Parts: sequence; structure tokens; C-alpha cells
Amino acid sequence: MSDTATRQIRLAGTGGQGLGLAGRLLADACVAAGHAVAQSQTYEPTSRGGSSRSDLVVADGTVDYPLVTALDALLLLDQAALEDAPALLREGALVVTDAALVPHPPAAQGELHALPLTARARELGNPRVANMVGLGALVGLAGWPAFEQVERAVETSTPARFRELNLAALRAGRALVATDASAA
Amino acid sequence: MDTRTELPFEIRDYLRLDRMPHFLCPGCGHGIALRALLNAVHELGIDRDDLAVVSGIGCSGRLSAYIDANTVHATHGRPLAFATGLKLARPDLHVVVITGDGDCLAIGGNHLIHACRRNLDLTCLMLNNEVYGMTGGQASPTTAAARYTTTTPLGNHEPVFDACKLAEGAGASFVGREVTLQAPALKNLIREAIAHPGFAFVEVMSDCTEIYGRKNELGSSPEMVLRQKHDVRPESYGNAVERPFRPGPWRTGVLAKNERAEFGAAYRAHCRAHHGGGPGDV
Amino acid sequence: MNAVVRPRNLQGNRACALAAIEAGCRFYGGYPITPSSEIAECMAAELPRVDGVFVQMEDEIASMGAVVGASIGGVKAMTATSGPGFSLKQENLGYAAAAEVPCVIVNVMRGGPSTGLPTRPAQGDVMQARWGTHGDHPVIVLTPASVMEIHAETRRAFELAERYRVPVVLLYDEVLGHLVETVAAPADAGASATRRFASGPADAYQPYRPGADGIPDMARPGDGYRTHTTGLIHDEDGFPTQAPARVGAVMARLLGKLDAHRDAIERAECVDCGDAEVVVVAYGITARAAARAVAEARARGIRAGLFRPITLWPFAERAFAAATRGARRIVVAELNAGQLALEIERLAGRERVGRLNRLDGEPLAPAAVLAAIADAAGATGER
Repeated sequence: MSDTATRQIRLAGTGGQGLGLAGRLLADACVAAGHAVAQSQTYEPTSRGGSSRSDLVVADGTVDYPLVTALDALLLLDQAALEDAPALLREGALVVTDAALVPHPPAAQGELHALPLTARARELGNPRVANMVGLGALVGLAGWPAFEQVERAVETSTPARFRELNLAALRAGRALVATDASAA
Repeated sequence: MDTRTELPFEIRDYLRLDRMPHFLCPGCGHGIALRALLNAVHELGIDRDDLAVVSGIGCSGRLSAYIDANTVHATHGRPLAFATGLKLARPDLHVVVITGDGDCLAIGGNHLIHACRRNLDLTCLMLNNEVYGMTGGQASPTTAAARYTTTTPLGNHEPVFDACKLAEGAGASFVGREVTLQAPALKNLIREAIAHPGFAFVEVMSDCTEIYGRKNELGSSPEMVLRQKHDVRPESYGNAVERPFRPGPWRTGVLAKNERAEFGAAYRAHCRAHHGGGPGDV
Repeated sequence: MNAVVRPRNLQGNRACALAAIEAGCRFYGGYPITPSSEIAECMAAELPRVDGVFVQMEDEIASMGAVVGASIGGVKAMTATSGPGFSLKQENLGYAAAAEVPCVIVNVMRGGPSTGLPTRPAQGDVMQARWGTHGDHPVIVLTPASVMEIHAETRRAFELAERYRVPVVLLYDEVLGHLVETVAAPADAGASATRRFASGPADAYQPYRPGADGIPDMARPGDGYRTHTTGLIHDEDGFPTQAPARVGAVMARLLGKLDAHRDAIERAECVDCGDAEVVVVAYGITARAAARAVAEARARGIRAGLFRPITLWPFAERAFAAATRGARRIVVAELNAGQLALEIERLAGRERVGRLNRLDGEPLAPAAVLAAIADAAGATGER
């Protein structure tokens, strides 16, 4: 299996933005949808603030090489987390950014959606659910995995006191792209 | 079932006689410590099958091989680490550690302080002869001031460890010191240490006649043992001795004893409280 | 064969800990070190559920000592660490080898030497795993390449340790330790090996007299055997000897005891090696890159293959020879300056072997391995 037979996704931002959690939820949704997943994330000395990312390689059957080599989709919540992503983006890749926090999105190799992710999260009451807004937007645009699988992953794997807020944020993200006109 | 407890203590019952003759030099105080340990084991009625003795490296480390029990001759400085694993895995065993001043206070010092802190039910006998005997007589953390060893050819200038203060400071729930001169008192102290439910540290003031005594002209073995009267200050002596060669008075007897939670039992209870079952329930 | 549980996502280090408990591990002595700490954390949470004991020791040396002590007590025991901690454990690991105390040591490799690159992957401990402790000694080293395989090989590590009374090192890199992968682990992969404890009359028992398989039965404290365990070279009775004839005999048995069982111990995977002109030798995360590179090379018409040792030591020499019989070039890809390459050069001859190394804290990517395959194929004159 070559990397063209996998789907590769990166969720990137700064430490504390919850990209690890978003990656785990997406990975769980993919498994529930019958795929095999390899998920890796930045691993650095424990402290907040640095860039943070969660990478997924999704395959039918087994994943051969578990690290990303050509991204099909990128969710970027902070400019500082761009790093080597531009070089990894596949032709036509889907890119979702936070419009306010990513002033210089990667040059248009693909389909760019600059969205008010953190702003929408703040409206919902907590800017820290921008990860869920972004995930909802990304899955809404990609059409995959099934949105219901992601919802179910949120329901089963996030703490009860955040469940409703997370679900609301996820759905708000999808709603953003249902009306999004900023597609490049 | 070991029924020999009802009989008078006979050291041969607790030794591996086929390992004789032993390895210790004539006049070495470690033999007195070994006898005191085995006598204490006898008086406590501990079955040899349920006794584990873990020793380190050095002259003291060789003693375990002579004891007819489950014996482990560990790596240098690590008998307390080995014993911690053994006792946690097998709380049913009585685990006694035999170590020396170099093994316990130098290379193994970190294990000592953490064993004291943890308070696992181990008995640690540190046989202090002030020297690395087996390697030919190098200075140890307890070599007294001005003493000659092969690595202090000009006389020792390093301060010494007070092992008992160290153990007490690190939290040992039982700390004691005794001299080989007072063999019955030593036996009683070891007996009390083994019976103590928690980490018990006992410093045995031993002597190294052959290597250390000769180099420092401390006389024959009887002279060295008798010197303990002057050099160490048993509590009963009060301040009668004017000039012990160590700094400050070195007291003997039980120096610290307090009740606090034994590590293994506390761990098992803690686990049981959370999960219903618990290690050691089987 | 076995009931398969629903596929789920599991981290490599966590898979290791869970597999250890399935294998019957009931003692863990640990010390925190990146990037292995998740194993200790998982054991701390899980062992109390199964009446096991977790203890965080005061240092790496003590954790290895405690593991040996627990195993002498008759309990399956494990520790985990990374490069610097692995260095510190070596003396007591050697004790386990000499005294034939079963135990499992996990080394999640990071960049070295010294403190090195604590959060970055490397494969620099291939030789330390084999030769890290002083003196000649038997050891088994397993090197899984996926989360699923970490699970399987951790279980096998306990099987081998108990069966052959030998320390078993599980060696994998930071990427695999932290990688989360979908696994469909068997709900119960079958009964795990139990230790062969001494039985029969105590006065006839010799602690190091080998059984028919070359391995002595092990006495359990409390069973009445009252044995002596030492790191000194010892005779069949367990007591030290320096008599040259006896030392020679006991060392010969110790060093040779795995030989009769190499078929059971060695494990390797061969992919497309049958007609391969170029065979890549790779393990751990590098083998994952190599697998994709070999597939892409094949798609481009290069007859490439992959030889992947799963048992690293003893090296699967016969399987390797069979896999590379027809290969003109062999490429050893690894995240070090060339360690397994030394063994491959010894087996295959230096002229046939090329090296692909990376030392900058990043894994080798499939493209790099593919380029090396293409180079090697060019060198064969085939393309």
C-alpha cells in the first residue's frame, strides 16, 4: 500500500488548544467507521504553549507507514503550528484555518477555508472548544468520516461536564461550512 | 514446620555447614554479628524456609552464603533494592538485609535513605568495620579521622557518616546500634529489629583486625573489640569516656522507634480500598 | 482461533503494559524516564486491579534490582526505561543473566548518547541491548514494529524469559511507544507460560542442574529448597566456584543454553524476498517505512524485498540467509550510525551490504528508503 492509498490528516495549533483530544476523537470515529488508524502527535517536554499537532493516517485494512507523508487535510488553529505542513500538502488538499489566528495560511495548493473557529467557540461560551468547531468544519467539508461517528466519539470519550458544549461546538463547526463562502 | 525453636539455640542448625570453613579472617567481628542474627531468628521462631537473607558485596556480603535459608547475594550496594522487590512480591517472607558501611552508605546510600522513607518491613543490618576489607582496605564513609587505609596513605581527612542519624533523619521507624563486644545486647537488638513491623536499621560496630586494625596498629582482635568500650559510648556509660575517636558520642541501643504505616501493608490496603481485592489477598 | 475483541485505538506503551499484565506480570519496579513513562503510569493504575504490585523506585538501578528481587521471589516482573536508564540498569541486568532470573526490560529508544534527544526516536541501543552489561552473557532482544506487535511481543517476552530463565529486552523506538494504532487484540491470547518451579526432594535438588532442555528448574522461596542466588560464577549447587574446569563448564552451558531453542526464539518477517535483487533489512519504525518503500519499488519494477527481524538477538541468521540468498544488494536501514549493519556485514559480506542511517532525531521516511533501494538496484545493473 502506498501513501496514495491512505488518507492523511493533520490537526495543528498550540499546546492547550486540544488538538490531541480532537485527533483521538477523529481516530475513534474512523475506527468505528471500519478503518484502521495510526495517530501520532508532537511529543515534547511537558509544558504549555509550544506548537502541538495530531497526525492521522487512515487506511482500509492496515496502515503501512504510520506517519504522515502527504496530507489530504489540514486543520490549523495557530500560525505558529504551520511548520512543515505546506511541503506536506497534497495537490488539492483541504485546508481549514482559524481566520483570526492564522494570518498567513499556506499558499493555495488546495482548497482553503479560513473560518472564525475561535470566534464561534467564544460565542458558545468557551474559546477552548475551537478544536471541536474546527473538527466539525473539517469533517463537514471532507464529508468523511460520517459526522454521526464523530458525534458518537465525542459523546463516549469526553467528560460529561463538557459533553454538551463539545457537541454544540462540533455542530457549530459543521454549520460554519454549510454556509461558508470563503472557499478559495 | 520448624520446631527447633523450642530447643536451645544451636548455631549449626542455621548454618550451611558444607560451606565451611568460612571466608572471614580470624578475629573478624562479622562472625559475632552472624551468630547474633541467627540466635535472634531462633528466638523469634522464624522458620528457615520463610527467611530470606539478601546481602550486598564485600565481606558482609559473603555472610548470606553461610545461612541455611533463602539467600541472595546481590550486586554491590543494591541489596536493599533487591530486598524491596522480594518483600513486596512475597510479603509472607521475613527479609533481612546484610550490608556493610561501603555497600550501604557509599554505593548504596540512595537505596538506604529511600528504604528508610518507605518503611517496608525489612531488617537492615549494616556491619560497620570502617573499611573496604575485601578489596584490600580502602577508606569508607565511616573510616574515622586520621586512620590509615590504602587510599588514605596520609591519614583520613574526610568526615564520617553517622549512619543511625542518617537512617533516623530519612524516616526509619526503628534505628539501633550495638557493638560486637556486647553480643547478648546485639542479639536482643536484632531480635527487636526483626520483630518491628517496618523498616529497621541496625548498625553493628564490627572490627576488621586483619586489614584495618593492623594498618592502624589497633592491636589484636580482643584488643580491638575491647577498644569498643572506649571508642563507642554505650548509653549506660554516660559520659564516662572522655575521648571517643569519633566526633561526638556514639550512642548504642535502640536510638529511634516509632509506629507508622508499614509500606507493603499500606499499599495493599490502599489498593483494596480502590479495587476491592488487593495484593496479598490470595 | 481466539475471540477477537472489537478493534480499538491503543498507544504503543499502553499496549506493552496491558500485554504484560495479560502475560501474568505482577510486579513492576519503575523510574520515570521519557519516552517510556506511560508504561509505568499504566502499570501503576492496572496492577492493583490484579493483585499485583507497582513500586516507583528511587532510581533506575534500584528499579532493576527490585525486579530481580521480585522474580527471585517467584513473581513475573518487569521494568521499562529508555537509553540513559537502560545504561544504569545494565549491571543488574547482567546479574539476571548470570543468576538466570527471568525478567523483562523494556527500552523505548530515544536519541543518544547521554541525555541526547529525550523526546525524539532513535535505534541506537541495538548493541547496548546485546552487549550492554559486562562479560559474555545470554540475552534475548525483541523488536516489534507496530502497536499490535508490541502487544504480541511483550507477551512473548514473558514466555521466553520464564521458559529459558533469561532477561528479555523489548526494544522499540519513541515513535512506536507513542503511536496510537488500531488493534484487534485477541481477548485472550491463550495461557501464558508459568515458571517451572523446582519440585521433588530438597536434598536432591541442585539449583543450576539443567533439565532435559538445558534449563534448570527454579526454586521458589518458601518451598523448602533454601537456595543461594549469587552473581558470582556459581556451580550447579548455586555456590561460587573459581575452579577453571567448573567455571568453563558452567559458562559453556550459560552461553549455549539458548542455542538449542533458537527456532523457538527467533522470529522474522520476510516480504517479497523470494526473487528480490535488493533486500532491505529494517526493524521497528524503520521497517514500517521500508515496507512502503518496498511496495513502491515493486510498483516501479524493482525487485525489492524486506527482511524484518522481530527477534533482534539472537539474530535470525538462517532466516536471513534464506531471505537474501538471491539478493545482490542488501540495504540496512536504521536510526543510528550503523549497528545492525555490523551483524549483517558479518553474515552477508561487506561488499553486498549498504547502509542507510539517520541520526537527527527524525525517523527515516519511505521516500528515503525507496531512494536507497533505487540506488542499490542501479548498482546491481538491473535497471
